[in-house]
Amino acid sequence: MTELTLAQGRVDRDRLLRLLQEYGVYAGVAALLVFNFAFTDHFVSAENFRTQAVQVAPVLIVALGMALAIGTEGVDLSVGSVMALSTSLLSLYLGYGPWAAVLVPVAGGILIGLANGTLVAHLGVQPIVATLALMVAARGLALVLLPQLKDVRDPGMTALGSGDVLGVPYLVLIAVALALLVAFVVRRTTFGRQLLAIGDSRPAARLAGLPVRRVLIVVYACSGALAAVAGVLATARLTASDPTSLGTLMELSAITAVVVGGTPLSGGRVRIGGTVAGAVLIQLLTTTLVKHDLPPSWTQMAQAVVIVGAVYAARERGKR
Amino acid sequence: MLAVTGVSKVFPGVKALSDVDFTARAGEVHALVGENGAGKSTLIKVLTGVYLPDAGEVVHDGTPVRFTTPLQAQQAGISTIYQEVNLVPLMSVARNLLLGREPRGRLGLIDFRRMHREADEALRGLGIRVDVRRPLRELGVGAQQMVALARAVAIDARVVIMDEPTSSLEPREVRTLFDVIRMLRERGIAVVYVSHRMDELYEICDSVTVLRDGRVVHTGRLADLDRLRLVSLMLGREIGEVRSEGLTKFTGSHHASAEPMLHAEGLTVRHQLRDVSLSIRPGEVVGLGGLLGSGRSETARAVAGALPTDSGRVSVGGAPVRTGSTPAAIRAGISLLPEDRKAEGIVPGLSVRENIALAALPSLSRFGLVDDARIDRIVDTFVKRLRIKSSGPHQKVGELSGGNQQKVLLARWLALHPKVLLLDEPTRGIDVGAKAEVQALIDELADDGLAVLLISSDTEELIEGSDRILVLKDGAVVDELTGDAVTEDALMRAIAAEPAGSHHD
Amino acid sequence: MKHTALLRRTSARTLLATGLLTSLVLTTGCTKSEDSSDSDKAAPQQGDSGQQVASPSAGSGPTCTIDAYGGEKLDLKSATVGFSQSEKEANPFRIAETASIEAEAKKRGVKLLTANAQSQFSKQISDVQDLIAKGADLLVIAPLNSDGWEPVLRTAAAKHIPIVTVDRKINATACKDYVSFIGSDFVEQGKRAADEMIEATGGKGDIAILLGSAGNNVTTERTKGFVDQIKAKAPGLKVVFQQTGEFAREKGQSVTENLIQSKPGIKGIYAENDEMGLGAVNALKGAGKKAGAVKIVTIDGTRNAVQGIVDGWISGVIESNPRFGPLAFQTLDTFTKGSEVAQDIVIKDSAYTEANAQSDLDKAY
Repeated sequence: MTELTLAQGRVDRDRLLRLLQEYGVYAGVAALLVFNFAFTDHFVSAENFRTQAVQVAPVLIVALGMALAIGTEGVDLSVGSVMALSTSLLSLYLGYGPWAAVLVPVAGGILIGLANGTLVAHLGVQPIVATLALMVAARGLALVLLPQLKDVRDPGMTALGSGDVLGVPYLVLIAVALALLVAFVVRRTTFGRQLLAIGDSRPAARLAGLPVRRVLIVVYACSGALAAVAGVLATARLTASDPTSLGTLMELSAITAVVVGGTPLSGGRVRIGGTVAGAVLIQLLTTTLVKHDLPPSWTQMAQAVVIVGAVYAARERGKR
Repeated sequence: MLAVTGVSKVFPGVKALSDVDFTARAGEVHALVGENGAGKSTLIKVLTGVYLPDAGEVVHDGTPVRFTTPLQAQQAGISTIYQEVNLVPLMSVARNLLLGREPRGRLGLIDFRRMHREADEALRGLGIRVDVRRPLRELGVGAQQMVALARAVAIDARVVIMDEPTSSLEPREVRTLFDVIRMLRERGIAVVYVSHRMDELYEICDSVTVLRDGRVVHTGRLADLDRLRLVSLMLGREIGEVRSEGLTKFTGSHHASAEPMLHAEGLTVRHQLRDVSLSIRPGEVVGLGGLLGSGRSETARAVAGALPTDSGRVSVGGAPVRTGSTPAAIRAGISLLPEDRKAEGIVPGLSVRENIALAALPSLSRFGLVDDARIDRIVDTFVKRLRIKSSGPHQKVGELSGGNQQKVLLARWLALHPKVLLLDEPTRGIDVGAKAEVQALIDELADDGLAVLLISSDTEELIEGSDRILVLKDGAVVDELTGDAVTEDALMRAIAAEPAGSHHD
Repeated sequence: MKHTALLRRTSARTLLATGLLTSLVLTTGCTKSEDSSDSDKAAPQQGDSGQQVASPSAGSGPTCTIDAYGGEKLDLKSATVGFSQSEKEANPFRIAETASIEAEAKKRGVKLLTANAQSQFSKQISDVQDLIAKGADLLVIAPLNSDGWEPVLRTAAAKHIPIVTVDRKINATACKDYVSFIGSDFVEQGKRAADEMIEATGGKGDIAILLGSAGNNVTTERTKGFVDQIKAKAPGLKVVFQQTGEFAREKGQSVTENLIQSKPGIKGIYAENDEMGLGAVNALKGAGKKAGAVKIVTIDGTRNAVQGIVDGWISGVIESNPRFGPLAFQTLDTFTKGSEVAQDIVIKDSAYTEANAQSDLDKAY
């Protein structure tokens, strides 16, 4: 009898956790919005929404790549450093025209991603170790290329960073477009399905003849490319290349956005909508605390609480 | 020395051990044998304190004991040597040997000279010569195992349990191991020896206990039990038992006259396969017989590219296939239904639909975009044809019953239109109804002209399903049963046969 | 098989968790050290004059002589000086600091040995020991930490090697474990920034502070000096917002964007380093504000910030001077000749305002 009730209790809790994992992030965003509508002065303004959207854009773009990596039961810790490398490269190649200033950084990001992917797929290095190595290497390379902060005075970059179309900033447009693109890739392409299968059960995927290595390499290359794009956009917004501090702790924010958004760390699932909401949730959380001038240390603790909560909800439930 | 009486152990849904009596006597090497799921490993874990029995008791040196942790069992003098040595690879041999009881000099520091001397003596005493200063990992697997054994002996073990100790040893190392085991026996140590290698059992063991389905089906002196009888006890089939045809859903033989569809030659994988050759004609079902660990799954995996081979060739329809590459094998038309369905077959978090389409995705896509309409048609076809029962194509495969999971896997492969189908335990762990359906399907597929390789621990299924059976032993083909010779009797005799020549050295 | 798969999964998870922690620790570690340098980032050059002593004025405060310290007089010209830098020369402050020491050694014809700890304290300890072993008679140290110097000081004391620390003090006894400390008074910098703020805003209105990295002494002191001075001199100014910009431009910009939306009436922003101040300028520009609508006061004196004054976006920049070379060598020279030197030498930082920004722009680093 007791066992039965216990089991029953577990089922209920499992269901609750699953609901929390699936929709908790949307509830969180809604709750924060309601709170801010009610208690934050000057929150409801086009200007404010624009600011929030612009600030969240780079984090979201990085989180998209992170979601792919986590979907393969991996992770990419090098994203923040790739942003730094991207800003260094941008600064160096700005003189060769706007296309070079965008494409060279993205190529750099792809190269770092290829290195990550090769380590993971061909040499069997744990993703966390491989990308940690590249995290250190890419930051170092960024600082070698550009040892200190340098202003980016370029009308094109300034326009990219602060311009808009019908009131929607370019940064936001680009982030939304990339989110739609990644969602499409995950849902509608062979690559997306293979990625999910590999994340769910690597041995089964291998025996089913899937190109496991190729998919892994492409995933990390995508993550690198997206991080590099985020680096370019952050640089354009800042109108400066700051390889020492750009992207620090970005991997943490991105992982949080992905996990809070309901993508399990155990792979096999990628939730792009949830990731977008997750990134927005972190942004709103930070903003709320800043706008109410609460001590900065609270922001970090609040973020920690959200991460722990999300990971608890996402934690593997009993049996598989 | 160490005994259990009336031991039972129940896991959710499975009775792993029921009312088992087992006695390991001092100065005796006791073989513990049984097929997959017979309860050997559960019994070992009860003996070594990993599990507590649900009923019955463990008696050590005449007194009932209750080991609640493996450490207690170790302290009571029970050592276990696993296939994979669990020592510290980076430390020296001597360190490993004397770990935790290193000789101390002044100031409590390790006296390395004495440690090396003691370690050297201990190993020499077992007839093993290695440099005890070298890190353990530089030694071969066999030598490492010797060190583990020496350690067990050195810590005054009274009972040594060996779980398939020879599975990764070279023949020369096996000889040394046996010498050591004999020495242990002379010292009055009780040895429990778990292995599937019949020749080894008869060479080294004094007595035997046969487990099947969690029960002891036989225990006694090994010399009194002939090989055929031992095999029949393990497989649970009687010799000369009247065959009641038609218990399974197989219809019998198929027309198989054409040139071989699959041809594999000289497949060799270190420690696993030795020069295995086989060929299957279109429409033919070839069975692989043999005991657990004889190399049946390994053969299938080697053919399917899932197990890298040291040498050997595979061809399909006369065209050579690159070995060691699953994609290459699949492109050539070889499909493998793996033994471990849950870990290697299904992708549990994906839907029935995605699982079926998984392997065929590239052919169901255009420019990398998935053609959902075509997938739906194919999924629909196979769900109907294989009668896959689910709440819908979008249900997660992990939530289906074993039989339906297996059907989903079959559908995944059939969607590729394979030429060769390798089925490793296709009906294990699925309910009776689904089992019959799967068996009928295998027949049907062979009739459609597929070349089928069937591996099954269910002797009846194997005999009735196969047109021809290759019997494997220790990773090599030892016999082939054809035509009227495809009977259980013949199979068991082939498995039990003494090696033709000398031992494979 | 299933077991191993599960095991692998679990261990992968554990690894991931550890990795996250590692990355967190790593990055926070890095951020901190980078920021502490950022804080002092890019102090301006005062022409060729190097630094001037702000305090003590000659003859006041505790002093030190070679007799009290132990050791023998020597001629600086024939001596070997070891310089241990704490961080990679990756920001203007460190670049200027090292360059200044090297230039002064060259000017005086002194043999200089240099080492860079690359932000690793253990490396700095061994760097200093190496310098001593290589024959340094005198040491100039830019310490990475204040604590943990006992082993080195013991070695140096045994050989009676005079040590001067620059830009950061170490926790030890002056004139026993080391000779003198030369550096800025961060509290004073904060006070002077407050004076600039009071002047720019007229002493009335709501103001905000962009704090440096948390747990950094530079942040604490620059905040204390500013807040105390505002309280004392201009009760009409209210600090209504204090958020960290972590000494980085990007954070300064993000925080300011939120600030100007939630508190549109803000009159002034005190940024504890130039970078955050420049981020604030970005935010104000982005929000369509006019130059000078919100008064900004920053500390450091980088060229960009001084240019900001010229352009009208920034009201004042308090300098934090990195050019320790002349003063450090002068102190060592005086000391080794047998004369007395002050134990705490606070350097004079100048300031940039509308009045001198244009003319002194070239002096900014």
